[in-house]
Amino acid sequence: MQTVIETKTKRNTMSSAQPDDPDHAAALLALVATERSRHAFSELFRYFAPRLKAYATRQFGNEQTAMDLVQETMTNVWNKAHLFKPDRGSASTWIFTIARNIRFDFLRKNKHRQHDLSADELWPVLAEQNDSLDDDYALDDDLLMQQLAVYCEELPKAQRTVIELIYVAGKSQQEVADALGIPLGTVKSRTRLALQKLRELIQSDD
Amino acid sequence: MIKFHPSEEHLFHYVTGDLTPAMLMMVGTHVDMCSQCQRNVQHIEETMAQKLFGQRQLPEEFAAANDSFDGDEMLAQILAQPQQQPRDLSQQFASELVLEGKRFQLPGTLARNHHRIGQWHKLLGQMWRAPVQVGGKDVLTFIYMAENTRVPEHTHKGNEATLVVNGVFNDETSDYRDGDFVFLDGSVKHTPETRHEDCLTLSALDAPMHFTSGVSRLLNPFSSLFFK
Repeated sequence: MQTVIETKTKRNTMSSAQPDDPDHAAALLALVATERSRHAFSELFRYFAPRLKAYATRQFGNEQTAMDLVQETMTNVWNKAHLFKPDRGSASTWIFTIARNIRFDFLRKNKHRQHDLSADELWPVLAEQNDSLDDDYALDDDLLMQQLAVYCEELPKAQRTVIELIYVAGKSQQEVADALGIPLGTVKSRTRLALQKLRELIQSDD
Repeated sequence: MIKFHPSEEHLFHYVTGDLTPAMLMMVGTHVDMCSQCQRNVQHIEETMAQKLFGQRQLPEEFAAANDSFDGDEMLAQILAQPQQQPRDLSQQFASELVLEGKRFQLPGTLARNHHRIGQWHKLLGQMWRAPVQVGGKDVLTFIYMAENTRVPEHTHKGNEATLVVNGVFNDETSDYRDGDFVFLDGSVKHTPETRHEDCLTLSALDAPMHFTSGVSRLLNPFSSLFFK
């Protein structure tokens, strides 16, 4: 399955789809999150890194600090892509907020003052538990998600990818079909098989 | 229904992180409580992202500035790092404030900074204050007023921002309820008071208060009480 996905991603790169297309960028982030796709990340990097560099150079007027900001921002994109929530905004907005946080902390670090606020405390962009304070049920949800995540590990990789894109990244079946370059029917059957398998796993555990 | 909001400029500088620490906390807490400002913040973030990343082709000046940008090396470095494990999911914040036997639910921004809230001290009458240590030159303070409490008439040498976290207070112009954000410059005189309800506010001052009327003018030497 991996081969099919990689081939299709390559084909997308060759075609007109660029990371400035929000859907394409979101699909690339989903691939980084679910597959740790180096190819998808490289495509994001080639688009966003030079633009971040231009922004950071204007902000800091210092080459080295600008490079540090680019590296730290893109490292977070690579490691934290699973925290991107497509329903909350676009991929580029998410990457902007990461860069904003890193800039904020860089500016304070230079002043060496006690008690200073940190960016995470103001804007929890990269908190693993973003909703906990707004939602009383978040804890139970998290527990449920953690249990489900264990069961998902048992699924064949192709089915797991589809399930994660739909239920974690919040994509429609058609969007998943487009992102993975497989027919809609295949997405539907994989979803059905995966849910059936999950149901069996949960029941057998009881 | 929230009637008073931060200005567009406050929201913009909140998004970019270019307010004083105390004001970032004030605006952030208001945004936690106000769905209208949440939408505005999201819109500003999108606009900023578009400005940073929107160009298909990098303009000449950026391309030139990127001559020394060795993207390949950085990309390889990032991909070579071992995957970071997600942080502990069980991390919880104390999201409640307990004062005079009452419990207040804190909005996210304050809850995440709960550890910065200092000791409560009783001021004149039925007022309490606690500092919130956020660094920077201006001062962030919780002020709690019990029912039927009045702050002596005062002006400010600088700016005063007040956010109602819970309850109601009144001044000569209006009543202010949960989430209301009031920004006053040094020219405004006012006399905040509570009536039937108590009120927990968060206040940012960039200069000491200056009391203007009657006996309370005697308090001026003590205005540092508000300003510690």
